[in-house]
Amino acid sequence: MSKYTATIGIEIHVELKTNSKVFSPSKNDYNSTANTNICEIDLGYPGVLPTLNKGVIMSALKACLGLNCNINKKMHFDRKNYFYPDLPKGYQITQARTPIGCDGYVLVDNKKIRIERIHIEEDTAKSLHANNKTYLNYNRAGVPLIEIVSCPDMHTKEEAMKYLERIRETLFYLGVSDCKIEEGSMRADVNVSISDNDTLGTRTEIKNIGSISNVGIAIDYEIKRQEQIIESGGIIEEETRKFDSATNTTVLMRKKETGNDYRYFPEPDIPYLEIFDDMISSVKESIVLLPDERRKIYLERNILPINVEKLINNKDLSDYLNNFIETDINFKIASNLLLTDILSYLNKNRLSIFDTKLSINKFNELVTLLSDGIITNKIFKDIMIDILESDSSVKDILKEKNISLETDTASLEEIIKKVLLDNEKSVNDYKAGKENALKFLMGMVMKEVKGSFNPKLVNETLIKMCKKM
Amino acid sequence: MNKLTKEEVLHVANLARLDLSEEEIEKFSYQLKEILDSINKINDVQISTDELFIAPWTNNTTLREDNYKEYTMKEDILNNSSYRFDNFIEVGGVFDE
Repeated sequence: MSKYTATIGIEIHVELKTNSKVFSPSKNDYNSTANTNICEIDLGYPGVLPTLNKGVIMSALKACLGLNCNINKKMHFDRKNYFYPDLPKGYQITQARTPIGCDGYVLVDNKKIRIERIHIEEDTAKSLHANNKTYLNYNRAGVPLIEIVSCPDMHTKEEAMKYLERIRETLFYLGVSDCKIEEGSMRADVNVSISDNDTLGTRTEIKNIGSISNVGIAIDYEIKRQEQIIESGGIIEEETRKFDSATNTTVLMRKKETGNDYRYFPEPDIPYLEIFDDMISSVKESIVLLPDERRKIYLERNILPINVEKLINNKDLSDYLNNFIETDINFKIASNLLLTDILSYLNKNRLSIFDTKLSINKFNELVTLLSDGIITNKIFKDIMIDILESDSSVKDILKEKNISLETDTASLEEIIKKVLLDNEKSVNDYKAGKENALKFLMGMVMKEVKGSFNPKLVNETLIKMCKKM
Repeated sequence: MNKLTKEEVLHVANLARLDLSEEEIEKFSYQLKEILDSINKINDVQISTDELFIAPWTNNTTLREDNYKEYTMKEDILNNSSYRFDNFIEVGGVFDE
């Protein structure tokens, strides 16, 4: 156990999924051919004026409310000045003094990780470096971002990774971003410091981490690097480092600029924005059940924890299942159905559950038939494709396939009789009170009928016939 | 003090990525000081509110509906750049991103 405690804070930039950019009406689609979604505002031409996108405000509000923030009801924007080719105006429009949200939190293993602030800003152009040149794609210039700044409340890489995962899934469920870390629509900068006493150590910032697991690797490396420097009598310098995924190390980018060099001042081209209560309540109403609320409901309804996480990771299936929250359908059976054969079918055919013919009524019928023991899992597997691809009800499909359910007792009795005659000892054991003997006989019968009989009916008939023997 | 130090002038020049000659450093050390002094006069103004006065009017900002528009003069605005490569704007290499 190290004598040092690590302290970790994370800044997350998230691209918002809007139709147009934050300050210009250009299309918000970074993946188009380079420099096709641009206009004179994105390129910082003299005399252009920014116009603030309502969709960005609504999405940012949603993110703030979903992450338990207080809303700043009167805000303005600020210019952050720096000179760089990816920012042709010479400044980035951001919110330095009046972030749209502040004092939020997410729960990580029941511990509150506090969110200091969430503010809106514009993304810069994407730079590609080759042959001693830099190539600029301004499709990304002006793409709306929110920056989510945590308090330094995390102390292990596990906490940091879970925090990111919680933020990612919440924003994804809110529908404000596609949150693809690998594709850059969510980017994390991690601040790490270590200390062996009550005062915080000097922090370094690690940029350019392209996945949640790499956040863990980068934190591990950075803690060890800082420990080695301190142990050998050195001093940690405040600096920005870059994660190198090829070597799993962090390398120095630059000594940190100080805030003063950015010469922040209020953006005079965008007057104050007041957020009224009706705007907040309309955004609140549009918020769906969030992952943590879903977890709670699913666990209360006896879904296995591993299946709860699988459902959270598959929003469509979770949304589908939530149609039954008000009903008394067996959630355990329902989740098993969705997450096994149905999920493989969906993955194989690249479909969403909503693309299939599995109506709410039909799924209800199916789960009820299974939970009442009227059909077996095996029967379900045999008819699954018909259930998902045809409009017929489950009972009609069973009829079409000549799968008997309750009526054909004569042939069932015939089979049971044969099993009982072949296993006289077990019959006597059962009569002598050995319940296990009945299970054995039941297994033998089910094997004979190849699972295609209603097990409840088989069980009842078996008991009745045993007693007669 | 009626001028800025050489270090201060060079620091400001560096933020704007400007190379200055010794002569220019000397000239700007006076000019920048004059500008700062003029701006600092604003601090002496007596105002009755703590609220930042950020724009010349107090109306709430108007929000634009979230619809995108195709801009018709893309080629023209790209053509103002000195160098193009493929669809990209090309500049001298900057690597400390």
